[in-house]
Amino acid sequence: MSNVQKQLSLDDTLARDIITAVLRSMRETFNIEVTTAPPEYGDGMVSLVGDISGIIGLVQQQLEGTMILCMTNETVRDILPQVIGKSVPVTHEMAVDAVGELTNMIFGQVKNDLNQRDYQIKLGIPCVVTGRGHFVCQFHRGRYMIVPFNLDGRLFQVYVATHEARTESDSNKQ
Amino acid sequence: MEGFDSEQDPQRRSNVSQLANLRVLIADDHFLIRQFVRNTLKESKIENVQTAADGSEAIDLVQKSKLAGQPYDIVFLDWNMPTISGLEVLSYFRAKPEYADTAFVMLTAESEQQNIMKAIKAGATSYIVKPVSPADLGKKLFEINEWLKRKRQVSGGIFG
Repeated sequence: MSNVQKQLSLDDTLARDIITAVLRSMRETFNIEVTTAPPEYGDGMVSLVGDISGIIGLVQQQLEGTMILCMTNETVRDILPQVIGKSVPVTHEMAVDAVGELTNMIFGQVKNDLNQRDYQIKLGIPCVVTGRGHFVCQFHRGRYMIVPFNLDGRLFQVYVATHEARTESDSNKQ
Repeated sequence: MEGFDSEQDPQRRSNVSQLANLRVLIADDHFLIRQFVRNTLKESKIENVQTAADGSEAIDLVQKSKLAGQPYDIVFLDWNMPTISGLEVLSYFRAKPEYADTAFVMLTAESEQQNIMKAIKAGATSYIVKPVSPADLGKKLFEINEWLKRKRQVSGGIFG
């Protein structure tokens, strides 16, 4: 491994890492195949709407960001019976637990893939937010990327936003 | 859930029957993983399975089962758990010679090479990165069982 750190950018390479991680997590844990659509890129803030979201911060030397797995209750209720059994009712706690663990698995793989290519990413502590139709807004000054997934007509998405970290001299100028 | 098929191959059928006697503890704070591993063990006919939701509960259960004369053969440990981490649980038991023939297996989303090395140095019998398919976990079980057999042959244990 070289010591030259690469700067993370929101591009098709990162989208491929995310798609690989999501497809593998769904296939190996739930024996479920999901499909994906081309990622969407943009600038500035955007709001996601979901019922259960797994959120994790990421940092690189000069970059800060967030990665979010945003799902609906219906999607979680479709996949969980593959592990807990079809006769067991899916509780709110089970759904939160599953999205938390999926967040860990998916973004852990993404981090590992990036770091094997010298990106030296660090992740924060994951958290899960719930609430029917909640909004997730990221207050950032950079670009975002949304990777959509489809599970038998039910949609879910992974959202990544990053911006340059403020330096001390930036802060002093304000 | 698709498991690994042991019905067709007599050798594998024999291996699966060896696994059936194993006593297993799954320590993971996520219900999803505890249930996933339990399902996979069931595919291997392993029914003697208990679970712990954090590191201190895992330590408690491992010690109590040893005192009761029914020690676990395999302990699956997540890395990041409340109270005590899986790595700390591993280090705690590896410092005690009486647990030398217990297989402590890290099953974690923590995939950094340096952490894998840390766990191996601390005495992990195996290191499995999540997500893992039932088929791959099943194959690992055979490897772990071979490790148990070797360990217990050396110490004159149950496999003989």
